[in-house]
Amino acid sequence: MNLRERYRILYWRYLARVAARSVLAVLLVAVMATPMILLEGSLTYSTVALLFLVPVGMAAILLGLAPGIIGAITAFLALNYFFTQPRFTLTVARTQDLLALAVFLVVAVSISQLVGRTQASLDEARSRERDVIHLYELMSTLAGHRNQDAVARTATSRIHDVFRPTALEVVIQPDSRAKPQVFRAPEGFKIVDQPPDEVIALMTPRGLLGELHLWHSRIQTPAEERLLNTFASQIALALERVILAQAETRAKVLEESDQLKSALLSSVSHELRTPLATIKAAATSLRSGNVSWNSAARVELIVAIDEESDHLNRLVGNLLDMSRIESGAMKPQRQWNILADILEGTISRMRHAIEHHRIEVDISDDLPLTPVDHMQIDQVFTNLISNALKYAPPGTTVRFSARVQEPDLLLVEEYNEGPQIPEEHLDRIFDKFYRVTAADRVSGTGLGLSICKGIIEAHGGRIWAVNKPNGLSFFFTLPLTLDGRHVPLLPAETETAE
Amino acid sequence: MSTQPHILVVDDEPQILRALRAILTEKNFTVTTASRGEEALTLAAANPPDVIILDLGLPDIDGYEVCAQLRAWTQAPIIVLSVRDSERDKVRALDKGADDYLTKPFGIEELLARVRVALKHSVRLHGSKEVVISAGKLVIDLARHVVTRDGLDVKLTATEFKLLAYMASNAGRVLTHQTILSNVWGPAEVDQVEYLRVYMRQLRKKLEDNPREPKHLITEPAVGYRFIIDPGF
Repeated sequence: MNLRERYRILYWRYLARVAARSVLAVLLVAVMATPMILLEGSLTYSTVALLFLVPVGMAAILLGLAPGIIGAITAFLALNYFFTQPRFTLTVARTQDLLALAVFLVVAVSISQLVGRTQASLDEARSRERDVIHLYELMSTLAGHRNQDAVARTATSRIHDVFRPTALEVVIQPDSRAKPQVFRAPEGFKIVDQPPDEVIALMTPRGLLGELHLWHSRIQTPAEERLLNTFASQIALALERVILAQAETRAKVLEESDQLKSALLSSVSHELRTPLATIKAAATSLRSGNVSWNSAARVELIVAIDEESDHLNRLVGNLLDMSRIESGAMKPQRQWNILADILEGTISRMRHAIEHHRIEVDISDDLPLTPVDHMQIDQVFTNLISNALKYAPPGTTVRFSARVQEPDLLLVEEYNEGPQIPEEHLDRIFDKFYRVTAADRVSGTGLGLSICKGIIEAHGGRIWAVNKPNGLSFFFTLPLTLDGRHVPLLPAETETAE
Repeated sequence: MSTQPHILVVDDEPQILRALRAILTEKNFTVTTASRGEEALTLAAANPPDVIILDLGLPDIDGYEVCAQLRAWTQAPIIVLSVRDSERDKVRALDKGADDYLTKPFGIEELLARVRVALKHSVRLHGSKEVVISAGKLVIDLARHVVTRDGLDVKLTATEFKLLAYMASNAGRVLTHQTILSNVWGPAEVDQVEYLRVYMRQLRKKLEDNPREPKHLITEPAVGYRFIIDPGF
């Protein structure tokens, strides 16, 4: 339905309403006239004229300006017809009466006009006040919102409450590449086949943020249209404010992560260069021919190259893991595993590094299968062990144990005889780049424990450290359920003498 | 054909090719190198290698594709040598027909050991199908369903034997969880990794000298398992 058509319909409706009210105004005058006609003898002409002003005023107040004027003219005709000599004609004999009639007409029309205008402006003032209240309510609710969803939800319910359309949709799409979000009212409204009767753009200087779709049961008045458009621009502004606030938060996060990255770079380039320096020195001296082929120095240089390149590889691995954890890409591929198998694999892989320490594994065979990502938990064990090897004096023992703590939670402990950590640092050792010891005394990126934390938390567990007599313990928990499933039971089987 | 085993090395990095050519020639292998997938396929067809060492990141054809195309006509063992270390990449390469997977950076001893295992495996494949497999102290008689360790009978359940027989018949190859489950338990059970974990542990207890450091039934973390005939390599 286009605008012109809509206004034509509105215009005809208005005319029909005025006509109906005018008929009412005529009836009102007639009701007042009847008793006066009956009591004609006992009333003076001037009293009758005054009394006729009553229905005229009432019509103007109750029915509006135009019906008031129609009422005034009706009253004038009735006064002329029924009460002015000669009676029951519209002719007037005396000049005096003609004058009185003329004055009556002027007074009646003036009164109805005055009263009608006042009434109309009062009505308008009232409807403006209502609009302002609606708008105020909308704006104050919108002002409190921090995200697009909340803005859209409020917009939907407010428009629905104020305008009472058959149905409405608020479509939010600040970015043309993003999937549009649609909010609907009333609740449970099924999208109708027909296109919306009205579409209003949620437009700001930044561009189109979305659209309002309305299905009307009746035609909106110009005043309602104006209010609806004001609503739309307020909603668009609120959306823009929210979007800008979010962009600002993102910018802040980016800035912080930039700072972190520079911290990482400076820490990392130092760490990467250390093994590289060793490798380069060893390789160049081997190449120069200054080291004789059979000397012990040659073997030492070769061992150094081998060990330092492993170290370099571990550093790169740690960095990759950290960036995966931070970008949320560290999704564990959890499968039922035997924890002791994983740990034994880690220990066997690290056996050269462990030479100077003893490792004890105190994990019962009855321990239930644990749903974990093999590679990631292997990484946790690797980092915990290399951490222990770094700090615990040679010749000491690193002990692993595990037990079921709650029905669905496994508690794993790693105890080593390394130095204790001041209580206030116990939480912070899992932070990135955090070190209790000065960086140049112990090598590492300061990432090992924070990677452990990232992995354990991605598994739904928790990790913490506790000072123990003569040492330090790391604890972590792992859930024993996988997607709500408990440890699977295997079909029993007996050994057959084959 | 020379008596020296022929190895085709496919890698797009000249340094790796140079190093591997030097080391493998030193170890008495005949070495052919290729830096592109197409080239590798042509060379392999012209002069069939005994073992192929394949990088996944090649400039022209995807390494997985090279793997699949080679596997379409040759049974020569393929050892993937790649910087990609996620289990998804490993499983994908193995599914495409690779026998083994080694991540860069690698120790040359480790690579040589894998090459020797692959060669032995390929000889076994080409020779007559063995019915009795000897692996260290273990003797597995596939026909009679008997396993002995140091000459003594080892009692196994039916499933344990089936698992061991499957692993031993594919010695040297990295077998993914899914492959083992589907061949031993049946295609319907490919997701029941827990079966495999428990049975593998039981087998190790019965067969290995030190179940905590197995020598024959080797775990390939998050990917699968491998049976090694002669851990002395």
